[in-house]
Amino acid sequence: MAVEIVMPRLTDSMEEGTVVRWLVAPGDRVERGQPIAEIETDKATMTYESDSSGVVLELLAEEGETLPLGAVIARLGDPGEAPVHAAPPQGDGAEATVPEGAAPQASALEATAQRASAPDASASGTTASEAAVSEPAAPEATDAARDDQERSDGRLRASPLARRLARELGIDLATVKGSGPGGRIVRADVEAAAQAAATSTMAEAAAVASGAVTGADESAAPTPEDAAVAAGTEVADRAGAANEAAAVATSPPLRPAADIEPTATPPRPEGARGASTFEELDRTQQTIARRMAESKATVPDFALERTVDMEACRELRERLRGRIDPLPTFNDLVVKACALALRDHPRVNGSYRDGRFELHERINVGIAVARPNALLVPTVFDADRKPLVAIARETRRLVERVRRGEITPPELAGGTFTVSNLGMFGVDRFTAIVNPPQAAILTVGAVAPRPAVAADGSLCVRHSVVLTLVLDHRIVYGADGAQFLARVAELLEEPLAMLAAG
Amino acid sequence: MSSETSATTPHRPPADEQATRAPAATRTITYREALREALREEMLADERVFLMGEDIGVFGGAFKVTDGLLAEFGEERVRDTPISENTIVGMGVGAAMAGMRPVVEIMQLSFALLALDQIFNSAAHVRYMFGGQPTVPMVIRMPQGAGHQLGPTHSHCLESFFLHVPGLLVAVPATPADAKGLLKSAIRDENPVVFIEHKSLYGMRGEVPADLGPLRFGEAAVRRRGSDVTIVGVSRMAVVAERAAERLARDHGVSAEVIDPRTLRPLDLDTILESVRRTNRLVIVEEGWPHGGVGANLAALVQEQAFDWLDAPIERIARADVPMPYSRPLEQAALPHEENVVAAVLATLGRGAG
Repeated sequence: MAVEIVMPRLTDSMEEGTVVRWLVAPGDRVERGQPIAEIETDKATMTYESDSSGVVLELLAEEGETLPLGAVIARLGDPGEAPVHAAPPQGDGAEATVPEGAAPQASALEATAQRASAPDASASGTTASEAAVSEPAAPEATDAARDDQERSDGRLRASPLARRLARELGIDLATVKGSGPGGRIVRADVEAAAQAAATSTMAEAAAVASGAVTGADESAAPTPEDAAVAAGTEVADRAGAANEAAAVATSPPLRPAADIEPTATPPRPEGARGASTFEELDRTQQTIARRMAESKATVPDFALERTVDMEACRELRERLRGRIDPLPTFNDLVVKACALALRDHPRVNGSYRDGRFELHERINVGIAVARPNALLVPTVFDADRKPLVAIARETRRLVERVRRGEITPPELAGGTFTVSNLGMFGVDRFTAIVNPPQAAILTVGAVAPRPAVAADGSLCVRHSVVLTLVLDHRIVYGADGAQFLARVAELLEEPLAMLAAG
Repeated sequence: MSSETSATTPHRPPADEQATRAPAATRTITYREALREALREEMLADERVFLMGEDIGVFGGAFKVTDGLLAEFGEERVRDTPISENTIVGMGVGAAMAGMRPVVEIMQLSFALLALDQIFNSAAHVRYMFGGQPTVPMVIRMPQGAGHQLGPTHSHCLESFFLHVPGLLVAVPATPADAKGLLKSAIRDENPVVFIEHKSLYGMRGEVPADLGPLRFGEAAVRRRGSDVTIVGVSRMAVVAERAAERLARDHGVSAEVIDPRTLRPLDLDTILESVRRTNRLVIVEEGWPHGGVGANLAALVQEQAFDWLDAPIERIARADVPMPYSRPLEQAALPHEENVVAAVLATLGRGAG
């Protein structure tokens, strides 16, 4: 008996996956647990291991093809079994469901004829509805019935040609509005979408360039793909809504419009900026763009800022240097401080969901890690209960895995709070975008010597850091956030308390 | 049925005929005359060719296609038969196996059902069953189609019956020129050919080159060039499709390509596929019933081979799925017309019928 291999759910949030590479070929013997494909989810590319054993009868998904969860991507079975090339016709229940009322123009005449000439009354019902489908006299009526049916089930309607073109042009059909019967996406819609995408990219690039995003002159304007990537990182957060909008608008992957039929080629985006090139977003980038825009659009956020004296942390690190390995970074100290403070402030560790506060039992702190062209947030689980050195070890491991592209979706999931640090790049302070459904994100600037006022009122130079806490105001209010931030500051200014805790 | 009015071409010796051909390159003649010319020319060219059927001699054929041939070629070569369809075809199969080239006529395609045993089990399969030793170079001519108030049993369009059977070639000419050219090649072919003529076409006039030779089977005719949609019309529906295409261009600005396959087996699928890959849309028009029909088969072939080029479902137009009514209004309502083709084309383009 053949077994169908379906597109697996590899992450909680994935709705579709892309078969990046097949590791087996038709005819290969596969054992349960053997890697058979690399599948790109919305978060990462993962190796998928077979749940069953057998011989690969056929691979139904092409490499690069994106399919929804549950779609059959391959079949395993006995060597003797024949592949089933033709899938059973699906969805075309039009024949069965065409109401008799949707009869052809000539319905009266034909019905009469049928009654007259087809004495088998039981047959005449089906005959009439079948005739309505193939009956030439009734294309409009048939279409109307079909349309109603198609609209009701929410499936994406696209002609085979439209699907092929979309694949070739890198257009996400879900973003295209269909103009055909029943909202079917046809060739013209895909071509229009490709043109519009090319045009809007130009517009956004111009918007980004002219805005005070980077302060750079036009010639140094970021390319559209830079804008998209940046929007996913905190760096771009300062850019404001225009930038996020750019990220969203460019999220459908683009390809040079030259791939469209020559007649449909939009003008090349040349001009003052010279020729532009386009880069497609990979799935991670698409996810970042979408989620960040969603956050900005739905989360009423506000930020609290506090300068924290880091001399004690510096001293602690100096004293631990050479004694424990790995030496905790400032960021590890912040992670630990946050985790402990979250214990006392459960709403900062919670979620605003469907009109309720959702408070989480575990405290899992995500740490934002940059990877070329992407930003990932691996999770330090139960950070409040892990010793500092364990956190240090854990963060190093996670960062390494992110950089190597080995991080797996479970390691990226489950965070209840996020810490983002750009101090290593010399950034003094910044805000970030809340990572929904989390209630808060804490940003960490550079630990640097800064003028400070000593206890006796004299000026001095001390190492400090600016922490910025961005909060979802639906669940955490100003005073709550301030108290949480104060607790974090207190822990960082007296870090020995952290070593004693948890 | 209107009586045959055009004079039969008087018998001329071959040499004489050759002499008159050169100047008169093209004449306008009827489908009926074109068929008669083909029969006559092939009988003159090959003495093994003979005709057999009900009322084809003295009466000149129910549709007057063979009018005058008895006088010209005599009873040996133009043989009237009793009402005995299965025997007529069976005789033809035997004669063909014995080296003759019979052209048998079944008065109505509907009556061919009586001869299906000989057509399917003998004509189509003898060559295969005997390892290729005998061939069956015969032609079975039969008029099909509704529109003449002849009720359910005289109005069938059953191309699909014969298309279904391996071993038979099937021709469905829609113009006088095709009728002549294809009948000539049918007579010369070593295989049994089911030659289906449409009753409503017999009086249709068209240009036919005087020296038109045999036309190859398996070559579709592109009757009209277009870029928005491909319409394939079978038999008389090729004519209807062409008229619909003219109206589409005039009233709706739609550029329709019209293809007449001319022979269903062999089928020139390449020409149809090439067209569909350009227009991305296909409307198939036939006069047969919708289920298991020529259009159903063609739709399957096209989606198998041009799926990724389709921008809309393939539309099929066929007669109503009912026995053909006798009443004129009902019969007309059950038949495909130009406006049905127009509506289907607009539907496939996603445009309302307005």
